[in-house]
Amino acid sequence: MSDHSPVDRLTCILCPVGCELEVRRTERGLDIQGHQCEKGIEFATEEVLYPKRNLATSVPVKGSATRLVSVRLSDRAAREMIFPILAEIAKLRPEAPIRRGQVLIADVLGTGVDVIATRTVE
Amino acid sequence: MEAMSDVKRQGVENRGLSPREGPARLYDVVVIGGGPAGLAAALGARRAGAKDVLLIERDKRLGGILNQCIHDGFGLFLYNETITGPEYAERLIEDVGRGGIRCETGAMVLDLTADRVLRVNARSGYRLIKASSVILAMGCRERTREMIEIPGTRPAGIFTAGSAQSLVNLQNIRIGNETVILGSGDIGLIMARRLTFEGIAVKGVFELLPWASGLERNVRQCLMDFGIPLELSSTVVEVRGRDRVESVVVAGVDGDLRPVPGSEREVRCDTLLLSVGLIPENELSKRAGLELSPLTGGAVVDETLMTSVPGIFSCGNVLHIHDVADFASHEGFAAGAFAARFARGELLPAANLRVAPGPNIRYALPQLIRPGTADFDLSFRVTRPVRACRVLVRGRSSGKAYFKKRYGRLLPSELQKIKVRPAVEEDLEVECRE
Repeated sequence: MSDHSPVDRLTCILCPVGCELEVRRTERGLDIQGHQCEKGIEFATEEVLYPKRNLATSVPVKGSATRLVSVRLSDRAAREMIFPILAEIAKLRPEAPIRRGQVLIADVLGTGVDVIATRTVE
Repeated sequence: MEAMSDVKRQGVENRGLSPREGPARLYDVVVIGGGPAGLAAALGARRAGAKDVLLIERDKRLGGILNQCIHDGFGLFLYNETITGPEYAERLIEDVGRGGIRCETGAMVLDLTADRVLRVNARSGYRLIKASSVILAMGCRERTREMIEIPGTRPAGIFTAGSAQSLVNLQNIRIGNETVILGSGDIGLIMARRLTFEGIAVKGVFELLPWASGLERNVRQCLMDFGIPLELSSTVVEVRGRDRVESVVVAGVDGDLRPVPGSEREVRCDTLLLSVGLIPENELSKRAGLELSPLTGGAVVDETLMTSVPGIFSCGNVLHIHDVADFASHEGFAAGAFAARFARGELLPAANLRVAPGPNIRYALPQLIRPGTADFDLSFRVTRPVRACRVLVRGRSSGKAYFKKRYGRLLPSELQKIKVRPAVEEDLEVECRE
């Protein structure tokens, strides 16, 4: 990412509108242009200073005809934690039944977010 | 089986009911397809007062393509939070379950007639269904290698992005080790990230057009985050390998989208993913004889989402390709409500005013409007990225502006939905000028 260029051109990814933002680092902090809602400011600040992402994958289930259960994070985590978290998720072999929203790993790697199931498996 | 061969024998010429087929069970509203549009359509019909609502789904479970879309970004418009495809599907399915709607999975509609008789092959066998209103919500299909005619050998290892998504996300199958993705549609971008997560190298995404066809947010969070190169104005000109893909040859293209001789380069890979467009799945619509639009690939509809055949409605990706599931559901709710009104016998006059796409507009929908209609939804897509522009919905006789709005930037990848407020009494044209 061009984190050190004077102008950072970002596309806000908080919703499908995808506002084009221009972020400049000034002495008074960040100067942000192009957002259509307040989320844009929050996004640009975070994206330039400490980017966060959610992630989704699926893991094999024991005790069900359904092969996989899909999972995500309960909230976004620091982007550099994506691959360490994926490695933790890869160790999971949850047993059916699983309900949607069930916590499969609490506070994964101390990030403060949980790995949760995104579907119901009977 | 005997009944099925009956259908074949009858063909298109003689599709009247044979005495051996009847009698047909009558429903107020029948929805074909249980994805984000169809589930919402069934709910919309029920909430608008339809008593007997039947939803028919070909797959063994409801939810459609949402089930394999395990990434987040769904629900922002419908639920005001970002959730994944399976969560979005389960919530809609729970609403449908509470709503007193009959759902039949593992059932395929084989035929639909203009007088709204459906020939259905269900788990219980072949039978006839008659509907006061029918809602088409069959979704879409992916364009294949054959449709874009990539030269070369015919080895294993070539997948459409959506079929790869199903194999990886639902069936736990490793599809390869090194992948090239042709086309920058959203599913291709999402799969670039998904394969990266699974330890499969993504060598690059090659896009024929000079702009990405997927959403900006996906270019950023699926490619840029992982340093996956996106090469615009380029394409795959040859597939190599005998049993399995061994490499592809990529080349730049000129302004007419033709490969530039001398720009070819070989990229080693064992897998090629295609994300080169979606096509509304209108086989049943054709059998019912309804008018299709060459611009959208879906039905021509009026502001009530009714097709050229009275009582048959269309919504979601079978009508036109959406980039956000929430919009397909939004259209489904609307189609359901209008279909319920038709089923009650509320007849409306003919929609004879035309809505035409003007400069920089690929299509506008609905294509037809009843005189006097006000406060209706209008969707459109631009033909190319346009900056600092003004969109105008203009009366073709009076020149009156029915809607105008300035946009900082409009992209072909983003379906736009607007509300036209004034009552319309003339043909309209939608235009976008810089």
